[in-house]
Amino acid sequence: MTPLLSVRGLSVRFRMPHGRHVAAVSDVSFDLAAGECLALVGESGCGKSVLTGALLGLLPANAQTRGSAVLPPDDQHAAPVDLLTVGERALARTVRGRRIGLVPQSPAAHLTPVRTVRAHLGETVRALTGTRRDALPPAVAAAAERAAFPADHLGHHPHQLSGGLAQRAATALALVGDAPLLLADEPTTGLDRDLVDRTVAGLRRHADEGRGLLVITHDLAAAARIADRVAVMYAGRIVELADAAAFFGTPGPRHPYAAGLLAALPERDFTPIPGLPPELDALPGGCAFAPRCARADAACAARPPLDGGVACHHATAPEAADA
Amino acid sequence: MATTHPPTPATEPEQPWHTPAHERRGTRKVRVTTSAALVATAVAAVLLVPLLFPLDQQAIDLTSRLLPPSWDHPFGTDDVGRDLLLRSVYGLRVSLTVGIVAALVAAALGLAVGCVAGAAGGRTDRLLMRLVDTFAAVPHLLMGIFIVAMFRPGVWPVVVSVGLTHWVSTARIVRAEVLSLRTRPYIDAAISGGAGRRRVVLRHLMPAVLPQAGLAAVLMVPHALWHESALSFLGLGIPAHQASLGTMINAARGPLAAGDWWPTLFPGLFIIIPTLAIAGLAGAWRERINPRRRSELVL
Amino acid sequence: MLELTGITAGYDRGRPVVRDMSLAVADGEALGLLGPSGCGKSTLARVAALLHTPWAGSVRLAGETVTGHRFRAPRHQRTAIGVVFQQPRLAADPRLRLRDLIAEPARATGRGRELADRAAALADAAGLGAELLRRRPHEVSDGQLQRACLARALLLRPRLLICDEMTAMLDASTTAALVALVEDYRKEQGAALLAVGHDRVLLGRWCDSVREWDGDGNPAGAELLTQE
Repeated sequence: MTPLLSVRGLSVRFRMPHGRHVAAVSDVSFDLAAGECLALVGESGCGKSVLTGALLGLLPANAQTRGSAVLPPDDQHAAPVDLLTVGERALARTVRGRRIGLVPQSPAAHLTPVRTVRAHLGETVRALTGTRRDALPPAVAAAAERAAFPADHLGHHPHQLSGGLAQRAATALALVGDAPLLLADEPTTGLDRDLVDRTVAGLRRHADEGRGLLVITHDLAAAARIADRVAVMYAGRIVELADAAAFFGTPGPRHPYAAGLLAALPERDFTPIPGLPPELDALPGGCAFAPRCARADAACAARPPLDGGVACHHATAPEAADA
Repeated sequence: MATTHPPTPATEPEQPWHTPAHERRGTRKVRVTTSAALVATAVAAVLLVPLLFPLDQQAIDLTSRLLPPSWDHPFGTDDVGRDLLLRSVYGLRVSLTVGIVAALVAAALGLAVGCVAGAAGGRTDRLLMRLVDTFAAVPHLLMGIFIVAMFRPGVWPVVVSVGLTHWVSTARIVRAEVLSLRTRPYIDAAISGGAGRRRVVLRHLMPAVLPQAGLAAVLMVPHALWHESALSFLGLGIPAHQASLGTMINAARGPLAAGDWWPTLFPGLFIIIPTLAIAGLAGAWRERINPRRRSELVL
Repeated sequence: MLELTGITAGYDRGRPVVRDMSLAVADGEALGLLGPSGCGKSTLARVAALLHTPWAGSVRLAGETVTGHRFRAPRHQRTAIGVVFQQPRLAADPRLRLRDLIAEPARATGRGRELADRAAALADAAGLGAELLRRRPHEVSDGQLQRACLARALLLRPRLLICDEMTAMLDASTTAALVALVEDYRKEQGAALLAVGHDRVLLGRWCDSVREWDGDGNPAGAELLTQE
């Protein structure tokens, strides 16, 4: 099956004063297929949000990119589109909302406070599908329906919505253009458990309907419930890319950082990984996790490649768990 | 389901870095550079010309009255034979100084009132804002005329008059900013850490609004310059014998009626061009303070 | 340590966000306050931290009745409580370097010199190196900034620590590290803790007891869940 999004060797760096560079994302590669949910997890500052920015063309002016993030040709689009080089105009006209829908981090802040949900949806429907004014009400109703947003709340303003409904309104907006790829940026931050469950279930449903779903989150519990595959990022690199079932269940994570992250959960050991992640403007030449790693030895002076889904010289062997 | 892993790229030659294009940058750069060059030229001229050409700009030469622009007098001469280029530079010097000092006075006053009103809240805030409304309700020029009329003509009454009529907008901007900052958790954190009212205002609120007040001051320089010119043109500001752009245009009314355009045009350009240049720089500064694209690097 | 009785509080002219709520934290106790977002638990935390004036009810702190909030609270009452907020970005003055951010309460109380060593030790315990301490908030990550904010809250040796959704924005490892830092401090000083949050698992693991609050802003249905 051809993937919906194919990222190869993606790197992002920021030019800083005095000729310094901050390597926010380094050499990231992954594929995302239709009907699949990939969760990108890692601690704050690991480069997750920069990666999102790169995919949406929303990087600040001092950013530079390398590699590719390609939307392959599909029924309506003959040529592949590289999100990194296609340019702002093409992104705005043909990609955002149409081929990639964004489910934002804080939905209430994402909506204009003085306009109703109906006005938001109407505007987006018109902009993306060119629906005429007289055909708008049914189109808006259909758009709300798709994200399970209750029709009797369409006249509400964002501040009148509960957190869950605001989330659904934002999701409805992301779905208007019928984008095959959904990108959810920290969709569960600051939500309480019930709302996390509902949000996660809602997003999962869209993946089950055949969309590709990329979830960027630091919330491992949410990632465990939604994802088919998990990519763990550390210091701008993917250090482990694994099946979610294996990662969260048995045999568990293979990279020591991923193992430490899971162990830090309050429902598990609740012990932090010692130390802090390295600064992205002074990354070590070898394995970036080595200074915090109990398994580190001389081999870690060389950077381990992402080999068989894990980038570590001392990764737990996959077959170890089978025993 | 078998997990597919993308192949790890082999050690291939490093790709070059790609810098996303930002379309609007070009014109902005031109605008900022031009504005900066014009402002620098104006400042250099008013500072250096009196040093390099110690000619008496007041010297009257009735044999060369109202000469049109020529190589000897690029801007021509006025109705008593004074070189208009030299006199315009001197006029700009006076007008610009008055404009800058008046703007600083206004901004400082506005900053103080705005900070106190915003931080104190309650009755103090209401009282100060009624004062602001009162000042704002009277037309600037009218009040300016009223203030200068109380003094003998000179530079300082004009500074006081323009300063006293223009602090109102800065006070409003600063107060609004302080009100929005006041409820930030970092102010809560400072209070919880034992900081008193004075420390919160001086250490946390004032520094945060300084850029806004500074921008307001810069934007006010051209405004003050125009007010100075208007007051002087009306014969109420700078005394008529002293060169300021306003007095020069005032003196040029007679020649203009007779068809001699240059005594009006050149001082007029000396008002308009620095105004636009300063506004251009202030615009760039505003974009810096209030960035749309500059989301910094969000880690 | 802290006793809130019949607190009703809200903002401007709106409906009260907190209605007739009572709550007590004993010396050295760790109490978790669990509730969905928007239920008013943050407002209650602000009342408890003397940062918000309630419409009705009384606050008693270490046996003294609190007579005023914010600037009207006497300094010794304010500094007896350390507060950590949900969003470190908003809780840190953007112009202060982390070093100055941590030392801020010491300077505000005129004890800058006396507490310089303690500030350095706290920064070290929070894992912040010399290089990070020279940076400003926008140059560090959320996790690093929250570490600095926690160090700031601990600087004056508060007898009560109030953590309002301290870890809601943070990853598992940073969460565990911050909780460990709080617990180390409490063990050393015997301080009490009021931890407000929505994560049942986290609060259950962290606190001695957890009080649950229903979504109505009304504590009538509140129950006491005691752990272990």
